Amino acid sequence: MNLENFKDQLFAYGTGQGFTDMELAYVREEKFACSLFETEIDSYDTSETYGISFRGLFKGKMGSAFTEKLDEDSVTYLIEEAKDNADVSEPEELEEIFSGSHFYKQPDFFSEKLKQVSISDKIALLKSTEPYIFEADERVTAIESFTLQSSEVERGLLNSKGLSLNERKNDFLIGLSVVVKDNNQIKNGFIVKNTQDFSKIVPQDIAHAAVEEAISQLHAKPVKSGDYPVVIRHDAAAMLLTVYSSIFSAENVQKGLSLLKDKEGKNIASPFVSIIDNPFEKQGLARRSFDDEGVATSYREIVSSGTLETLLYDLKTAKKADRESTGHAYKSSYNSSLEIAPTNFFIVPAEGEGDLVGKVEEGILITSLSGLHSGANTISGDFSLAATGLYIEGGVIKHAVKQMTIAGNFFELLKNIEAVGSDLEFCYIQMGGNCGSPSLLIKELAVTIE
Amino acid sequence: MLAKSVIDDVLEAALSTGGDFSEVFVENRYSNQLILQGGQVEKSLSGREFGIGIRIFKDFQSVYTYTTDDSREGLIKAAKKAAQAIKGEHILQPTSLERQAIESLHPILLHPREVEKKRKVDVMKKAYESAKNYHSSIEQATIKLFDEEQMVLIANSEGTFAEDQRTRSLLSIKSIASDGIQMQTGGHSTGAFKGFEFFENLNLEHYAFEASRMAVTMLGAENCPSGKYPVILDNEFGGVIFHEACGHGLEATSVAKNNSVFANRIGEKVASDLVTYIDDGTLKNEWGSITIDDEGERARKNVLIENGILTGYLIDKFNSRRMGMASTGSGRRQSYRFAPTSRMTNTYIASGKSTNEEIISNTERGIFAKYMGGGQVNPATGDYNFSVMEAYLVENGKISKPLRGATLIGNGPETIQLVDMVGKNLGHGPGMCGSESGSIPVNVGQPMVRVSEMTVGGRMGEE
Repeated sequence: MNLENFKDQLFAYGTGQGFTDMELAYVREEKFACSLFETEIDSYDTSETYGISFRGLFKGKMGSAFTEKLDEDSVTYLIEEAKDNADVSEPEELEEIFSGSHFYKQPDFFSEKLKQVSISDKIALLKSTEPYIFEADERVTAIESFTLQSSEVERGLLNSKGLSLNERKNDFLIGLSVVVKDNNQIKNGFIVKNTQDFSKIVPQDIAHAAVEEAISQLHAKPVKSGDYPVVIRHDAAAMLLTVYSSIFSAENVQKGLSLLKDKEGKNIASPFVSIIDNPFEKQGLARRSFDDEGVATSYREIVSSGTLETLLYDLKTAKKADRESTGHAYKSSYNSSLEIAPTNFFIVPAEGEGDLVGKVEEGILITSLSGLHSGANTISGDFSLAATGLYIEGGVIKHAVKQMTIAGNFFELLKNIEAVGSDLEFCYIQMGGNCGSPSLLIKELAVTIE
Repeated sequence: MLAKSVIDDVLEAALSTGGDFSEVFVENRYSNQLILQGGQVEKSLSGREFGIGIRIFKDFQSVYTYTTDDSREGLIKAAKKAAQAIKGEHILQPTSLERQAIESLHPILLHPREVEKKRKVDVMKKAYESAKNYHSSIEQATIKLFDEEQMVLIANSEGTFAEDQRTRSLLSIKSIASDGIQMQTGGHSTGAFKGFEFFENLNLEHYAFEASRMAVTMLGAENCPSGKYPVILDNEFGGVIFHEACGHGLEATSVAKNNSVFANRIGEKVASDLVTYIDDGTLKNEWGSITIDDEGERARKNVLIENGILTGYLIDKFNSRRMGMASTGSGRRQSYRFAPTSRMTNTYIASGKSTNEEIISNTERGIFAKYMGGGQVNPATGDYNFSVMEAYLVENGKISKPLRGATLIGNGPETIQLVDMVGKNLGHGPGMCGSESGSIPVNVGQPMVRVSEMTVGGRMGEE
């Protein structure tokens, strides 16, 4: 059954069952991924998938369900399940199916040139990179993983109020992790590049970056635990922002799950901090011209020189706060519930700001963070995270530090940012939004070293 | 789920360019998730996932493709397209399929799809009331209920043709306590390879109280000191440390490519004599249990470390080629969207000889980690970290004040050498484990265990 027929049958059956307004959203994905091990391609994955989600108003309450199969069984399944789900739900605010924004900016998220890159060109890229990895340094013992992935995603939203939206985007990602060994000390270095421009991937650069990252961690020495000024490198800072981006959700604020309650228009960060949410940002993975309720998205300043300009709203939370949706309704996929998430969400880099390490008399440069899913409390803001990094003395990097933890509070950290670098980069993962950050100099954090 | 004649043709088409193994995985999954917050059902979502994964091997190369298109033409086209990644002559014919009679090891009494959603909501409301009424400082409680029925069909060119159904139920409770200045959270999850009977027979009050007790306790907790301490890890979910610190390193995914610190060390002493580490997918109705794995192999009990000696790995079909060792029934995947690889099921440290009292009274000064949060490991280096949701200081052989914000870091292979006391009260706790083949349900488990020294990170600084 094609989508148009499916929609017609679904809405007709839904109307018969008592639904008033209805919406169908779909995601069609095509992916290719492969990985190289010891000069040969050892895994090669392709896929083509389709998923549908349905939302509808039944007796004034919203019910949802999803399916991956476009058949008659699914028509009845979606309607029956959505009805049951509407029945048991007890919403505080009544939700709505959206009739449409006045203006939708034309998206430019799809690169025809990237689509034209053949699978053999992609495999050739992996194979041509491999020799550089072992040539880069004699301490390289193995490639832990070397993979690439390309994806094409089309998403659309059709509803019974006449709204019909769709857009597509494509992306390419390459990831390399290498293992190095010296004096029985084993370390690994990991690098990921996202791009829409395949020609920008330079094999030598990929190889050298990953090897350098691994080598820099060798000969780690213990340093006395204590409170230190800390430079959080751009990639680690972007990961931290990813975890804490949920504090900007109006839903979390309205439910008392974020400490940004009553903070709009007030100072929440140091004057060096501005945060932008830009759904049309080319470097970001979370590009979208409409959100998952069908509201048009747009460029927004969320934090301006330390002042919180706005939270992120969907239709429901906007109605409650008596304002307009900011276009941040988000479903991580068709099989997820609606929530609020940013798009491409980043701390604005300070143009011309050079080396933050040079500003530090004695401190730590954090190069990666882990344990973010468990060691960061988004409600209290407290975090205690495992980190890798380097010791700074007299404004110069001296040596690697043994495994450590850094502990602090994100709300305090925002106020303790003393300088922002110029090296903005986006995170390689999208969790809700896609976050980016330049390196950040933090006045002080508690550092414990193994 | 898919006609045998179609499967035959797909398996054959997949071998058309010289592949030496082909496999079809069909999945049909129904799931429900309900979220209750502030006493009201906030979200309720149901869905059906359906798709097919086709896998081909040629020596040490694996090709995988998946699709939601289940038409005969669509599947044969997908199989042929995937086969293009292999360059060779069509030599092998699939062995003819014979349906295996699989009797589930884990009986289900009340299938989730046959139970009205209102009954599920009643369970959640009861849990909410208990959590909320535990103490006046509880501001908010969130209850999540999840259930699913996953039907799978697995067929391969070696003649495997098996069908299985996995039914799982999970309840999680999160409480937030506030004293007007700060907020602290507490949480508890419990799950099983069971239907709705799991919720009906659950001591809801116990789990709700535990979540709220933790949040309230943390309001009065001090920041954790940092430094090196003996650490006592409580039973059940405390086992997550060994899941991270050694479980992942024993998976063929990292062993086959020599990326694990445990590679090529069978027969060697890798842990303290007190450590026996087991992965057992056959435990009746446990959250991480299976009857057959996602490659059609029967679940089994695999002893990985026995009295400190490394005795085995967790092996899937593809990595078994590189390793020259047989599959251990450990091939698992989140869904048809992932090629399977070696994963854990219910993994635990076997009971030892000490009582809890002996372990605590023998600890002069240390940290008692009562409830663990999640963690992470770097398989290449063995470095791990995880957070402690509820911790206490141990002073003069007694548990004293509560501590917040504790993180434990260390190196897996070193930590398992430092286990110096193992208790008797083996218990299991449910979790979701994320790795190459997606997020899957697993249990971690152990009795109370003491590690003689671990690095504890907190905000208080060194004493």
